[in-house]
Amino acid sequence: MKWIAKYFNLILVIVLFTSCSSDDSNTIDEEKPTISINYTEGFPQVCEQLLKGETYSFKAQVADNKALASYSLDLHHNFDHHTHDDQGETCDLEPIKGAVNPFIYMENFEIEGGLTTYEINISITIPDDIDIGDYHCSYSVTDETGWQSRTSIDVKIID
Amino acid sequence: MLYKTLSLWLFFSLSTIAIAQNSFQIKGSVISKNTLQPIEGATIIGENLHAVSSASGTFNIHNVTEGTYSFTISHLGYTSKTVNIKASINGEYLKILLEESTTQLDEIKVNGKTKNREHKESPIVSQLVSKEFLTSNRENSLMQTLSKIPGVSTIKIGSGQSKPVIRGLGFNRVAVVQNGIKHEAQQWGNDHGLEIDQYGIENIQIVKGPASLVYGSDAIAGVVDIQPNAIPLTHSFSGEINLLGESNNDLLGISAGIQARKTKWFYRGRLTYRDYGDYKVPTDHINYENYIFTLHGNNLRNTAGKEANASISVGYISNRITTETTISNVNAKNGFFANAHGLEVRTSRIDYDQSNRDIDLPYHKVNHFKITNNTSIALDKHSINLDFGFQNNLREEHSEPIPHGYMPTPSNSKERSFQKNTLSLNVKDAFTIIDDHHIVTGINVEFQDNNIGGWGFLIPEYTRFTIGAFAFDQFEINSDLHLLAGVRYDFGQINSKSYFDWYPSTINNANGSTSYVYLQRAQDKTLNFGNISASVGLSYILNHTTFKINVGKSFRMPLPNELASDGVNYHMYRYEQGNLNLDPEESYQLDIDIDHTTKDFSIGVSPFVNFFENFIYLNPTSNYYETLQIYEYTQNKVFRAGGELRASTSIIPNLKLDASAEYVYSKQTSGPKEGFTIPFSPPLSGLFSASYQFKDIFFFKQPQLSADYRITAAQDEIVPPEEQTEGYQVLNMVLLSNINVFKTQQPLEIKFKLNNVFNTKYYDHTSFYRLIDVPEAGRNISIALTQTF
Repeated sequence: MKWIAKYFNLILVIVLFTSCSSDDSNTIDEEKPTISINYTEGFPQVCEQLLKGETYSFKAQVADNKALASYSLDLHHNFDHHTHDDQGETCDLEPIKGAVNPFIYMENFEIEGGLTTYEINISITIPDDIDIGDYHCSYSVTDETGWQSRTSIDVKIID
Repeated sequence: MLYKTLSLWLFFSLSTIAIAQNSFQIKGSVISKNTLQPIEGATIIGENLHAVSSASGTFNIHNVTEGTYSFTISHLGYTSKTVNIKASINGEYLKILLEESTTQLDEIKVNGKTKNREHKESPIVSQLVSKEFLTSNRENSLMQTLSKIPGVSTIKIGSGQSKPVIRGLGFNRVAVVQNGIKHEAQQWGNDHGLEIDQYGIENIQIVKGPASLVYGSDAIAGVVDIQPNAIPLTHSFSGEINLLGESNNDLLGISAGIQARKTKWFYRGRLTYRDYGDYKVPTDHINYENYIFTLHGNNLRNTAGKEANASISVGYISNRITTETTISNVNAKNGFFANAHGLEVRTSRIDYDQSNRDIDLPYHKVNHFKITNNTSIALDKHSINLDFGFQNNLREEHSEPIPHGYMPTPSNSKERSFQKNTLSLNVKDAFTIIDDHHIVTGINVEFQDNNIGGWGFLIPEYTRFTIGAFAFDQFEINSDLHLLAGVRYDFGQINSKSYFDWYPSTINNANGSTSYVYLQRAQDKTLNFGNISASVGLSYILNHTTFKINVGKSFRMPLPNELASDGVNYHMYRYEQGNLNLDPEESYQLDIDIDHTTKDFSIGVSPFVNFFENFIYLNPTSNYYETLQIYEYTQNKVFRAGGELRASTSIIPNLKLDASAEYVYSKQTSGPKEGFTIPFSPPLSGLFSASYQFKDIFFFKQPQLSADYRITAAQDEIVPPEEQTEGYQVLNMVLLSNINVFKTQQPLEIKFKLNNVFNTKYYDHTSFYRLIDVPEAGRNISIALTQTF
């Protein structure tokens, strides 16, 4: 008992210290949204060839456990082979070349109404005066919490 | 002091003669451990018992009642020793060996108080790190070495760089101080280490709590204070050579230092060179999101590096003045993992795998040049300290030029460069009033000028001026009870300079037209900040137990990137937006420290509770800018609590056991991420060490084998965009020994170390490469040799 008396202060502090680690009562969103082009209408698919002057509907399916917030689509050239997609398949890339007038598409959109599933559907006309070759197409989506998911696809623009 | 002690002793001796019946005596002698000569005038102090050693080193305490007594034997210039003595009829003759303390400063300043005693008397919760600790625990970078201390961890960038984290806070929330001057580099950067040579450091004090009172802005979470080395003894010349070889990253390192002193002048110098290859991880591929990077020979592609450091100092010491000027330069070049720069996946035509030692793009090179002068002047009543510092920090980040967004392909590889000059001046005056009040007042002034270059923009150019004044009083209520109270005021001004993109961006106007604009990323802006910090604490020493309690308020001025960023960070796939309305961060912290140390065991606990009024952090929003997620600097309330537990025992002869645990709980209590933790929160972690001292085997003298077993829990508490990290267990082993190879007086110290014995694949939640799912380094065998002369 003498021992307890001697170390009472220490024990007290340890008990206080360990009891401090309380649990979270409110729930926080720990899930990222998801994004996929792996369904029939998903567009573009890996190694898709896009024709100049044509109009395409870029489609991807996004979902979240709570509420979706925004999405974006970015099309840029990969003439220098600086990156590759994350679809698991590899396309044959054309020889490395410089850019003269590459196609750049960068747009952001909001998803209103706190939806948990949504189909991205963006209509893009490929201009006639741009460089043909390897392009990179990336989708990204955020939820209301600020979690983000991305996916990217290698495509080609041809004459 | 001597007369006081003597008279006290006489008084008690006489009075006990008068009343004692059954009395015994305690006798013995005090001898220098270093020279084996008797020490005259050493004080032997126990509870109500005092003695002073004679010219022959002997002492006698008469008329003691039977029982066990604890005595502290101390003398100027020697490390104090506490012994337990049993007083009985046939009391044995005691031989007490005192070790000379190497710090000359102790002799001048502490009036017989050892550093250890001073540390106990100060209510500030801090930890002293000795050269012995640094030598026997040396890792690849200074902060990795220090991360063995409970409450200290690191943010690692590959194998050779790391930055300090104290109780879960790092970057600009921990001040690193060297020779009294705050180290000013690019602390805010994610992929930036500390440019300090870890060789040649003798003492470090780590403050685990708010320390703005003395250190000013940035010391909001703690301080790593690398203290000036001890002044060499008169007519001495000494030096050491350290050699290091490591298997994991094929590292070769050499460091050599010398120091000399005649009588009044002294000199020091050190050169360090380290060269290492890519480090190996216990996996042959990295699986990051949907990408798979295969690794050649387990090498983490392009993480090689090299480092060359030099320092020289000259000093002068006289009765009243001690001054030392140090010039140092640290130069390093480090490669970054080639397959993903930040989060951005990259392919390249560079043949990274042709050699594991070459440093290709992306890489950075840093150079930190520093001049410091430390002068102390002892006046009759005052002791004045002056610290002056000039620092020039250069950092260049190079990567393969590729187009991003509207930016065309740049013409060169210089993505970013930073050049930062910092001038610092500290003036401190310490004096004593009414015997018990030890007052310290001081002023810190700092001017900083940061210039940028390269084709990537992250932070603007800026100048920053800060001035702060403080005063604190350490009041000795009695010899065991000390109160420390102080207050400080700081004023700071930041001038950020405007920045425009070097390329035009396409803007689609509302009327359907398109314009091409050189976008402005930073504005010309002058911002003023003022802040009061304060601290009050008590320290109480009760026999072997020390109690400390301290309440402090600290602050941190917002950084120019937090205020004025407005740019695209492609490597992190984000658009970073500053906020000119940010206030200085203010943090209130309650610290408690209880330590109980006896000869055989020691136990300690240091809990804390901390509250941030306005914690600044880069919050990922759900919006986009040019298809990149917008991250904006936000400030909100944060609650943190946690602490460290430590215990050690040496009750079994030759075996020392240590155990420690650290935990921090953090929660944002307001703002857009309310309920979430804060970024880079370290998980619960424990470290168990055992160290056994063997008898000499052949030519191995004092061989010592130790094993460290770290158990870290999973980190499930995360905040976007972090990933949860699984727990891990990892074992490290060290064999230390001395060999008398040369017929010199000093033996060769040899250290054989095995890190990650089982080649465990694990992830460190606070590592820079954790973001791209790169595990920690695999098994590493290292051999370190140190020869002192």
